Amino acid sequence: MSKDNFLEVRGLKKYFDADRPSFFSREPRYVHAVDGIDFQLRHSEVIALVGESGCGKSTLALLLMGLEEPTEGAILFEGRDITHLNDNERKGLRRKIQMIFQDPYESLNPTQTIEEIINEPLVVHGIGNNKNERDERVKKAMEDSGLKPAEVYLQRFPHELSGGQRQRVVIAAALVLEPEILLADEPVSMLDVSIRAEIINLLAELRITRQIAVIFITHDLGSVGFFADRVAVMYLGRIVEIGTMLEVLEKPQHPYTKALISVIPVPNPRLRHERIILQGETPNPIDLPSGCRFHPRCPLAMATCKASDPPFITLSKTHQAACLLLVK
Amino acid sequence: METSTQVPEIQNQWIIRLTNFWRTFSKNRIGIVGLAMLIVIVFMAIFAPVIAPYDSSSSASEIGDVYNPPSSSHWFGTDDAGQDVFSNFVFGARVSLIVGFFAAFISIIIGGLLGLVAGFFGGRMENFIMRFTDIMLVIPDLPLMVVVVALTKPSLLNIIFVIGLLGWTTTARVVRSQTLAVKSRKFVLRARAVGAGKGHIISRHILPLVTPILVVQAVLVVSLAILNESALSFLGLGDPTALSWGQMLNYAFGRGAMSIGAWWALLFPGFGIVWVVLGLTLLGQGLEQILNPRLDTHHLMPGRPVIQGKMGMALEKIIEKIIEKSPLLEVRNLSINYINEGKPPARAVENISFTLKEGELIGLVGESGCGKTTLMLALLRLLPSAGQIVNGQVLFNGKNLTALNEQEINAVRWKDISIVFQGAMNALNPVRTVGDQIAEAIIKHMPGFARDQRLQERVIELLDLVGIAADHKEHFPHQYSGGMRQRAMIAMALACNPQIIIADEPTTALDVMIQAQILELLDSLRKKLGLAIIFVTHDLGVVAEICDKVLVMYGGVTAEYADVDIIYNESRHPYTQELLKAFPDLTKPKKKLSSIPGYPPRLDALPAGCRFAPRCPLAFERCHTEQPLLHKLNDSQSADHIASCHLLEASK
Amino acid sequence: MNRTRNLLKKIGWALFTILFVIILNFFLFRVLPGDPARAGIRDPRLKKEAIEMLRIRFGLDKPVINCFESLNPIELGSCTVNPLDTQFFIYIRNLLQGELGVSYHTNRPVTDILTERLWNTVLLIGAGQILSILIGVIFGVFAAWKARTTIDHAAVITSLFAWSLPTFWLGIILLFWGSSQGLPLAGKATPGASSLPLLQQWGDIIRHMFLPTLTYTIIYMAEYTLIMRSSLMDVLSEDYILTAKAKGLSTFQILKDHALKNAMLPLVTVIAINLGFTVAGAIQIEAVFSWPGLGGAIFEAVGRRDFPVLQGAFLLIAVAVIFANLIADLTYNYLDPRVQTE
Repeated sequence: MSKDNFLEVRGLKKYFDADRPSFFSREPRYVHAVDGIDFQLRHSEVIALVGESGCGKSTLALLLMGLEEPTEGAILFEGRDITHLNDNERKGLRRKIQMIFQDPYESLNPTQTIEEIINEPLVVHGIGNNKNERDERVKKAMEDSGLKPAEVYLQRFPHELSGGQRQRVVIAAALVLEPEILLADEPVSMLDVSIRAEIINLLAELRITRQIAVIFITHDLGSVGFFADRVAVMYLGRIVEIGTMLEVLEKPQHPYTKALISVIPVPNPRLRHERIILQGETPNPIDLPSGCRFHPRCPLAMATCKASDPPFITLSKTHQAACLLLVK
Repeated sequence: METSTQVPEIQNQWIIRLTNFWRTFSKNRIGIVGLAMLIVIVFMAIFAPVIAPYDSSSSASEIGDVYNPPSSSHWFGTDDAGQDVFSNFVFGARVSLIVGFFAAFISIIIGGLLGLVAGFFGGRMENFIMRFTDIMLVIPDLPLMVVVVALTKPSLLNIIFVIGLLGWTTTARVVRSQTLAVKSRKFVLRARAVGAGKGHIISRHILPLVTPILVVQAVLVVSLAILNESALSFLGLGDPTALSWGQMLNYAFGRGAMSIGAWWALLFPGFGIVWVVLGLTLLGQGLEQILNPRLDTHHLMPGRPVIQGKMGMALEKIIEKIIEKSPLLEVRNLSINYINEGKPPARAVENISFTLKEGELIGLVGESGCGKTTLMLALLRLLPSAGQIVNGQVLFNGKNLTALNEQEINAVRWKDISIVFQGAMNALNPVRTVGDQIAEAIIKHMPGFARDQRLQERVIELLDLVGIAADHKEHFPHQYSGGMRQRAMIAMALACNPQIIIADEPTTALDVMIQAQILELLDSLRKKLGLAIIFVTHDLGVVAEICDKVLVMYGGVTAEYADVDIIYNESRHPYTQELLKAFPDLTKPKKKLSSIPGYPPRLDALPAGCRFAPRCPLAFERCHTEQPLLHKLNDSQSADHIASCHLLEASK
Repeated sequence: MNRTRNLLKKIGWALFTILFVIILNFFLFRVLPGDPARAGIRDPRLKKEAIEMLRIRFGLDKPVINCFESLNPIELGSCTVNPLDTQFFIYIRNLLQGELGVSYHTNRPVTDILTERLWNTVLLIGAGQILSILIGVIFGVFAAWKARTTIDHAAVITSLFAWSLPTFWLGIILLFWGSSQGLPLAGKATPGASSLPLLQQWGDIIRHMFLPTLTYTIIYMAEYTLIMRSSLMDVLSEDYILTAKAKGLSTFQILKDHALKNAMLPLVTVIAINLGFTVAGAIQIEAVFSWPGLGGAIFEAVGRRDFPVLQGAFLLIAVAVIFANLIADLTYNYLDPRVQTE
């Protein structure tokens, strides 16, 4: 294993129990939320996980955070298997992997002040010998997150802040632990367009100033364009294409990636183009389609797609896609 | 400042919180009245020996005759034993309050603990606790109390325990559901992600949000306990040595007060119970209103009358130029205020003008809170009751919609102009089938379609038009997926062949692919049916894909209005330009996004000058003091390019 | 498919709850000091033959249940007794045969006393519930529709006040008022009314029912008004009401076709949960107006320490409430399509 791969995911699966179709049926059924995911993350790298709802990206985030127990597979951090740690063993690790959420209003406790919110991780981990030391760290995290000057915000409550400010508070509460990986689950999709750029810029900046690796989970391929190093496209619990940002955006190989890219709205009416609009909706992850799970919606599906599950085809050192059309 | 770096101690923060709470509470009339009523009665109970004119144990021979009516020596008369009713009333408060508070204390502790444990830990434990709670809830409580007290000794202690031990069920349910609700919130997940243990999460996150509900519940439980005690005593199961109000009533009722007509012996003790229970109820209501503030408004409250304002001459001229000859829809200088009691009106929308021709698609773009939804609702006079049209006109085929009465506007709604709302899950009635809801609009506006076969055929035809199979007609909205619901909403909007469809963020909250499907559907319907569409969105990309004209709104006013190509390639207003730079463009990856500093203005705190001035990179002095008017830009490529910016005045 | 499953589950739970109540009823009276059977034997009002009859009927010479000779005071016994030969089994067997014992006071079988009284209570609660729901719903709808007007404030304040009234006390006040109006104050019928023609007999019953039903209606109407108001306020601020308004429907059409059913659903749940509490009201009302119902039976039994009647009445009331609750629950499932088709 390369020394660089400080986070590695191998064959990760998570099945949830589904309701039985009837009282008398004996066969258990599962929601295949995450169904065999492999990828690596390097130091201070930004990887974007892109997919529509139901592709398993949020479950994957919970698995990486250790907030859900995987059904199968392994997660390695700096070469150490962290898949099945108990609460105590995980606690130290939590300082290194932090998460920010989609809805900054929901992810702040309305009864806590901003200071209490950002100070809380320090209390939980017993960091800082005295109050001054903790105050210093809180202040630094806040200023790094663009909440300047910190004193203005300390005694306020979340409802007194705007959406963008709240998301900065969430980021500060993650930064205060000085993490090495930041998992961002749709961090800008609830924010106004003029605010989104600020938050994305902030994340891009942090990765340079603090050497933080970012796993950026989103349904919007458009928003990853400018700062992701690599992009992984997910469909029904699996990665269907992974590559560097330019490879995926400019030379997409999987029909699903191609369709996704074609429907990204382009803010210029002169560049209106033919869009590949897939019919129907993502099937439910209980009864998965046979063979290639994308075949019922694939505009290029062949007879063989129904029967065999496509392997990952290596297209370049960094670019892979799972599609039978690519088998030469 | 010296104090700014000093962080107050946690105790201080609690004092701040309590004073904040008191500030809100003191404005709540119901709660204050309730609290005052309780303070009076608690005061009376504490100082009973001082207040009561006679000792509670004085016998008849000492103080008077049996059932004497109220007099100067016995304000509330005397009872069956010749005792002073007022003195007994004063001492009775002690017994009733003691039973109420202690029994409620037991109930709250049991119910609170069970609810917290069930809600937080879940699993089998929860199942067991909640099943048991359900059983206890179904068993009628007063008969059970009667049985238990009848079988044991009717002492005060017994009564407290029986009422307390049987009165926890609703508390357990309420606390469990609140715990569950808090537990599933994202900040608890975030605390877990930080590494917080169960104890920390319960004490720092669950309890602060459960306690307020528990307090409200406690107030309710106290009042129920007092009512139960009085009922038990009245039924003859009270402690004969402790004269509570219920016990007084039991004696009076059982010993001939009715037949003698001694109303005083029956009226006053009951009055005491009502006083306490009403005080508690009012206090509970007041607390509930503070903790769970609900807007006391709804969609059926009468709207405010339209004010037909006068336009300034200068503005009139500009608008004449904007508006072409007899378009389908002309919006002229429309202004809308939100009226809140005790506050100056909020100018949500100001001087908006645009036109819509047949088959045209206009994009209305703006960030949240810019007034775009308010504007759309105003077109069909659907504003909430606080909203008021204070100026301007909406001309549909030359008819001024703002001047119509309720019946006339009802005839225009849906028949001529229909709306596709954001989030179709909430915009469809959950308990009626989709087909039924589509048919309803047809029945209302097209009397030609009686409730016959043709109506059903029309519904199927409409569903087919948006790509929904006929057999889904009988399904309920929750059986549809998100994309299908939005299609059904579009089918419903098409039901009466309207000329204009207002689409209010129809693709927000949908997946990108479904979003593309819906956009394509709207675009093809427009071509097929010659529809004019007003497309409201915050997404510049979507607008660029399908619109003919674009109106960019900022803080309730028009920033810029022009053909779509002009807006994207030759925009002149700084806001439009900045917004475009902030929008990620996949055709130019790796290009750093520029961001607009600051935040959109809040309606209750609009800047004095140009509303964009505080965030504008080009703002100069005048921008901060004077609001710019709309200008027609004569040097523009487009014939009707309008913007409001002091910088562009030169190009007028 | 799932609907049947749901239905079976609910019925199963109701049966389980009834079983729980039956067992509770047995042990409550054995564990707490006043064991009716034992106390009964010592009751001086009973004749010798009657005592002997009780002994055989309840198996008082037999152990309470396996391993326990007696529960108050606790006396351990043999665990190997034939389970069919214990008081518990005899209690269950008697119950299955509809036998609830004999009243100490009247020496009549409890079952006979209670069956005629059950219908009187059902009559009172039924009439009171229907009226209070009807009036409560109407008031609630008006209050919500005319929110923040005088009508609304008046409805809310009146309801809060009515909610705070002790049921029995309101009964007493109405009794005073009724006596000045010449209304019948007690019982279900004027003595000797049974010889009158049927129509007049019913007229007499209705006159007797007037005051108790009025008391009941005022107390419970208040709660239904408040719940209906808040439920309708929630519904009326939903987006689909705005859709209905945008469709051009009139206010009346919106209320009738889009708001009422949706707002009634939470009310059905509340009615179900409330049944247990409404019985509490009935006991107090029956006590005040000497209405010959189950509640009245409980009131009298408490006064006379007539434990068999008390035990039987409690069991009957509990079972009736559980059934009524089940029916309300099933009605909800039937009314809400979201449950049906889940």
